[in-house]
Amino acid sequence: MTSFSKKMLAGTAVAAVALVGSIGTLVAQEKPVIATVVKISGIPWFDRMNTGVVAYQEANPDVVASQSGPATADSAQQLQIVNDLVAKGVNALAVVPMDPAVLEGTFQRAMERGIVVVTHEADNQTNTHADVEAFDNADYGAALNERLAECMNKEGKWTTFVGSLGSRTHMQWVGAGEENAKKYAGMELVDPNNESFDDANGTYEKAKEILRKHPDLKGFQTSAGNDVLGVGRAIDEAGLSGKVCLVGTGLPNPSADLLESGAITAIGFWDPQKAGMAMNAVAKLLLEKKEITDGMDLGVEGYNKVSVKQGPGKGLLILGNGMVLADKATYKEHMF
Amino acid sequence: MRNTGGQLAMLAVINGLLLVAGALISGGSFLSIFNLQSMASQVPEIGLLAIGVMLAMCAGNGGIDLSGIALANLSGVLSAVIVSSFLSANDSGTAFSVAFIAGAILTGLAGGVINGLLISRLNITPILCTLGTQMAFMGLAVVVSGGKAVMVGSPALLSSIGNDMLFQIPISFLLFVVIAGVVAALLKFTPYGLWLMLMGTNPKAALYAGFPKNGVLVATYAISGMLSGLVGVIIAARNVNVKYDYGSTYLLIAILIAVMAGVKPEGGYGRVICVVLSAIALQLMSSLLNFGGLSNFVRDFAWGLLLLTFLAVGRYDIAGFLSPGRRSQNPSVPVPQTPK
Repeated sequence: MTSFSKKMLAGTAVAAVALVGSIGTLVAQEKPVIATVVKISGIPWFDRMNTGVVAYQEANPDVVASQSGPATADSAQQLQIVNDLVAKGVNALAVVPMDPAVLEGTFQRAMERGIVVVTHEADNQTNTHADVEAFDNADYGAALNERLAECMNKEGKWTTFVGSLGSRTHMQWVGAGEENAKKYAGMELVDPNNESFDDANGTYEKAKEILRKHPDLKGFQTSAGNDVLGVGRAIDEAGLSGKVCLVGTGLPNPSADLLESGAITAIGFWDPQKAGMAMNAVAKLLLEKKEITDGMDLGVEGYNKVSVKQGPGKGLLILGNGMVLADKATYKEHMF
Repeated sequence: MRNTGGQLAMLAVINGLLLVAGALISGGSFLSIFNLQSMASQVPEIGLLAIGVMLAMCAGNGGIDLSGIALANLSGVLSAVIVSSFLSANDSGTAFSVAFIAGAILTGLAGGVINGLLISRLNITPILCTLGTQMAFMGLAVVVSGGKAVMVGSPALLSSIGNDMLFQIPISFLLFVVIAGVVAALLKFTPYGLWLMLMGTNPKAALYAGFPKNGVLVATYAISGMLSGLVGVIIAARNVNVKYDYGSTYLLIAILIAVMAGVKPEGGYGRVICVVLSAIALQLMSSLLNFGGLSNFVRDFAWGLLLLTFLAVGRYDIAGFLSPGRRSQNPSVPVPQTPK
């Protein structure tokens, strides 16, 4: 071996020791550990969820709660984090699965080892003790549509956007919206289920096309987070703000301008902060071997009276009422 | 052999250091048998893909295989869809498993042969060819599965590949070690191995020497494809489901592992044992960071640092890479030593 590679070895050794020093503080604790794993770290939605996990930790010093997630949107990377956490021996996992199907095998192994598994945004997960959803998807879709109908004076042409036709929740939302609109004879659905792929630009182009095709269109109901931005811009540029109604899923911060200009009538969402707290609350209850019952209060806003159903597997499906509909007047209360 | 031995020693030392570091920060639980098993069972997927990349790189002339993980997913998806159309995972577990494994490996083989034929017969640059086939494989997997996860289930044989231990070692890891051993033997003891390395070193000389160039290329990509098929089997065995977009980050990590193992991107040199150790080192490091509760962004940083370190070593020892150590079969070549 050359003297150079010996130097390299020495250098690596020093680097390794430095690395150990920097993370040496994190030694195994006695308190039960609840590990929250999100789809991707570093995006606003899950940063907001992290504030919930931090708040939960402050309110519950008898557990150790922390959040982690992959740096890239890849279900295999998330799987690896969950695997390592299981091996590390955490007491409970609170996971927002990138892809529920990919995690089934690992969750099964985790549960066999006595780890409590709680999930969110995965009402089709079989291997979980409890899946926490912010609301019933059908109720949410109906509520969005009701708000749209109110704005449209319950008559006129309207259309729907979904992230993709394969997106389960989006299809549930617009499906419930269509059901709701049947109550009003004057409402006519045209060209439904446009795919937006959560791309604001593509949605903008598509919305312009639809506005040209149906000049008398009165309303849009959208699903993916960026749809309101694309459709809102199309409405704004066509000078139709206030004349064409737009209700869809969106976040307050990015939608602020368009809400102010009137291009967006109202946005619907759930607060990931509260969802993170609710997941941890459920995990703690399960760790304490307490039963989760219908109508229970999880101590988190929007989850004060949860409805509990049997999930697709052996686990429970816990539905909160964490739905938020915000318009020009109210969006400032939820700035994230 | 001096410098290539250095690379091996360095990888071994790094693995040792990472284990010690893990033991220190976790108070010993990093070395618990369960964690060692958990890490060992995570290595095979990426390790096998890295061996495939290594083979393609060794072929020289810009050889690389970007289609690895896409082909692995296609193998799993296609085989699951076809096999479950005539067999049920619950009723005939063993038959299902065997058919699934055969289907996945055959799909991988077919994909690899397509890559090899395109590259050798049509003379398409490997990076462009495999980029194209990567998209084609992924697209086909989407079409076949309709974009959804395909349930494979856990019939006995598959489930034991994914979950069971033999002498306390995960079966998937043993499988990985055996396959790596077979590929290493293939490179060391068969004419194919010699042709591959010499062709990578100097394609023109290989051509004039009358090497079966096309045959070697097709065989190389076919082996890489079969390894992908096996990865598909392991993914299915561990995750119960297969999906077209699983492991989209694996592509670059596999290349990272190969380069870290000292495989020369310009061809002609690569050792399987180094790739295995390098895959284990990356796994240890990422598990270590997860144990420490550090952000995953730190992990990318640490990997990058590790890669740059190895590249620096490789560059400095460039004279060593030209030494006869590559093949003991031709020790008579005189080696000019450049002064340092």
